[in-house]
Amino acid sequence: MNPFEHLRIAMDALAANKLRSFLTMLGVIIGVASVIMLVAIGEGAKTYIRAELMGIGTNLLIIVPGKTETSGMGHMPSGVQKLTLTDMRALEKRASLIPVMTPVVVSNAPVKLGNRLRNVQIIGTDQNFEAVRNLHVEIGSFISKADVDGGRRVAVIGRTVKKELFGESNPLGRTVKIGETKFRVIGIMEKKGMTLGQDIDDHVFIPVETAQEIFDEDGLTNILAQVINESAIERAKEQIRGVLIDRHAGEEDFTIVSQQAMLSTMQTILGTFTYVLGGIASISLLVGGIGIMNIMLVSVRERTREIGLRKAIGAAQRDILLQFIIESVVLSMVGGLIGILIGAGIAYGAKAIFPVLPIDVSTWSVLTAFIFAFMVGAFFGIYPASKAARLNPIEALRYE
Amino acid sequence: MAQSPLIELDDVGKVFITGALRHEVLKHISLKIEEGEYLALMGPSGSGKSTLLNILGCLDVPSGGHYRLEGREIASRADAELARVRNQFFGFVFQSFNLLGRYTVEENVALPMVYRGLARRERLQRARDLLARVGLKDFTRHLPSELSGGMQQRVAIARALVNSPKVLFADEPTGNLDSKTGQEIISLFGELSAEGTTLVVVTHDPRVAEHARRVLTLIDGEIVGDKRNGEAA
Repeated sequence: MNPFEHLRIAMDALAANKLRSFLTMLGVIIGVASVIMLVAIGEGAKTYIRAELMGIGTNLLIIVPGKTETSGMGHMPSGVQKLTLTDMRALEKRASLIPVMTPVVVSNAPVKLGNRLRNVQIIGTDQNFEAVRNLHVEIGSFISKADVDGGRRVAVIGRTVKKELFGESNPLGRTVKIGETKFRVIGIMEKKGMTLGQDIDDHVFIPVETAQEIFDEDGLTNILAQVINESAIERAKEQIRGVLIDRHAGEEDFTIVSQQAMLSTMQTILGTFTYVLGGIASISLLVGGIGIMNIMLVSVRERTREIGLRKAIGAAQRDILLQFIIESVVLSMVGGLIGILIGAGIAYGAKAIFPVLPIDVSTWSVLTAFIFAFMVGAFFGIYPASKAARLNPIEALRYE
Repeated sequence: MAQSPLIELDDVGKVFITGALRHEVLKHISLKIEEGEYLALMGPSGSGKSTLLNILGCLDVPSGGHYRLEGREIASRADAELARVRNQFFGFVFQSFNLLGRYTVEENVALPMVYRGLARRERLQRARDLLARVGLKDFTRHLPSELSGGMQQRVAIARALVNSPKVLFADEPTGNLDSKTGQEIISLFGELSAEGTTLVVVTHDPRVAEHARRVLTLIDGEIVGDKRNGEAA
C-alpha cells in the first residue's frame, strides 16, 4: 500500500479533531521553540563576546602581578613583587616578539570642574595605549611620550566625562581637578560605549608616571603587550616569562593572560548555560512526546471499531501500525515546524530589541529540532500504534 | 474430478479459553459452500453462528480442522495473508453499519480498495458505480450521519461489494432496522443473489430465511439442520 495513502488517512484523522491535535502538539511546539530560541540567542551572545574581546586589541597579552593558578578560582596574589615601569622597559628591550606595549595603572578618583564633580576611573598609561587598545582620540591629542617623560599633568577625557562636566562647551585647554591635583585637558576620546561591562566613555586618561605620583603607587595594574602575530603568542609568553623571572629573583610572581584564554573561559561559561537550557528544552520535548502518546492511546481506544472495520475489509497489522505511527509523527513534526517558526520569531524579535547581539537561527539547529521532533513522534507513537495493530478484529468490531 | 467448492470446512472446531474456563463454541463442523449460494445461518443466541461466520470470513481462525478456499487450504495464520484474503475474496456487512463518520459516503465505499492499492480516482469512480447499484447515486458526497439507517446499511453493502468479492457475509444485517427498511435490504440481497453473488447471512429474521436458498441451523455449536428451499439439493 502506498505510503501517501497512510499519510492521507492520518491527516484526515487529525483534521477531524483539530483542537485536540493542536493541544497535543503544544508540548512539542514549546519544546522546539525554546530549543531554537535558546540556541540562537546563546550563539549570538558567544559571537558578541568574541567580537568584544577581539575588539580590545589584536594579539594582546595582559601581564598582571601575582601568580594565579590556572585552575584556581579568582585572583590569589601570593604577595610578592609588583610589576613596575622598569619591568616594562626591560621587556621593551629584550622581548623581540612584542613590538608595542603599554603600562596601565587604574584607580578611582573624583574629577572636578568648578562645582561639578564626577567619580570616574582614572587610567594612567602612555602614548602606545591608543594603538594597543584600539581606542582613539577624536578631538585634540592623546598623551605623548613627552607628557609621560616630563610627568606632565595633562588629561584625555572620555565622551561621558566631557558631557557631564563640560556640557556643550569646549574642554580643550581647560583645567580639571583630579583629586586635589590640577590637570589640563588635551583631548577627547571617540565614543565607544560599553565594552565587556566597562564604559570606556566614562574614563579619564593621564600619563602613567603622573598617575603613580598622585595615587602614591609605584607598581602597575597591568601591562598590555601586543605580539607581532598570532602564531608568535606562545613564544612571546616565554620571552616575557624569561625576562620577568630573571628580574624577579627567579620567581614567577606574575600571570600572563591571553585574549584566547579569556575567550575560552567565557565560551565555556556560555556553553554550560546553553547545555543547561538545552536540557530543560529537551525535557519539555519529552513531556510533549508523552502527551502525544497519551492522546494516541485515547485515540486508539476511541477508534477501536474503526480499527476492527479496517481489518475486516483488508487492512493488515502493518497497515494499522503505519497509520497510527504516521499520525503521531505528523503530530510531532507539524508541532516541530510551528515550534521552529515561533522560536525563530522570538529570536529575531530579540535581535530587533537588542541590535548589538548578532542573533541568527542556524540551519543545524533547525535540522536538529526537526529530526528530534520526528524521533519523538516515532518513538512515542510505536506503543499506541502496536496496540492498535494487535487488536483482534472481532472484538474490536464488538467494542462499544 | 469435480470442481472444488468455494469454501469447504472439514471437521472444524473452535474453542475459547477464558482463564480456567474452556468453552467449545463450534464442534466438528463440516460444510461446503458452492459459488452462487444464498445461505442463511440460523440458531439461538450463543449457538455459535456468528463464530462460524467469522471463521468462514477469515476474521477468525479455527482451533482445529481444515479450511479450504477454492480447494486451497488456508493453513497460514499469518495476519497479512488473512488480511489479503478478506480484502480480495470477501465482503462484510454488520448489524451496526460501521461506517466511518468523518468520510463521505463514497469514501466509505471506496475504503476496501485503499488496501488493494487502487488509485483514488479509480476508487471513487467504482464507489459511485456501486452506490448507483444500491440506489444511492444522489448521496455520494453526504456524510453517513445525514442518511437513514436503511440507507447507511445500503452504503455498507456497496462497500462490501466494491472489491467484487467471491462471498458477501452479513451478520444480522436487518437487526438494527425497522421492518420496512429491513425488507428493502432483504430484497436487495435477493437481487444480488439473482445476479450470482454468493451470500452467507447470519440472522434471526425469518423473512431472510424465506428468501435464502439454503438454511443452516446451529444449536450449541453443531449443525442440526441443513434445509434447501425451492430447488432440491
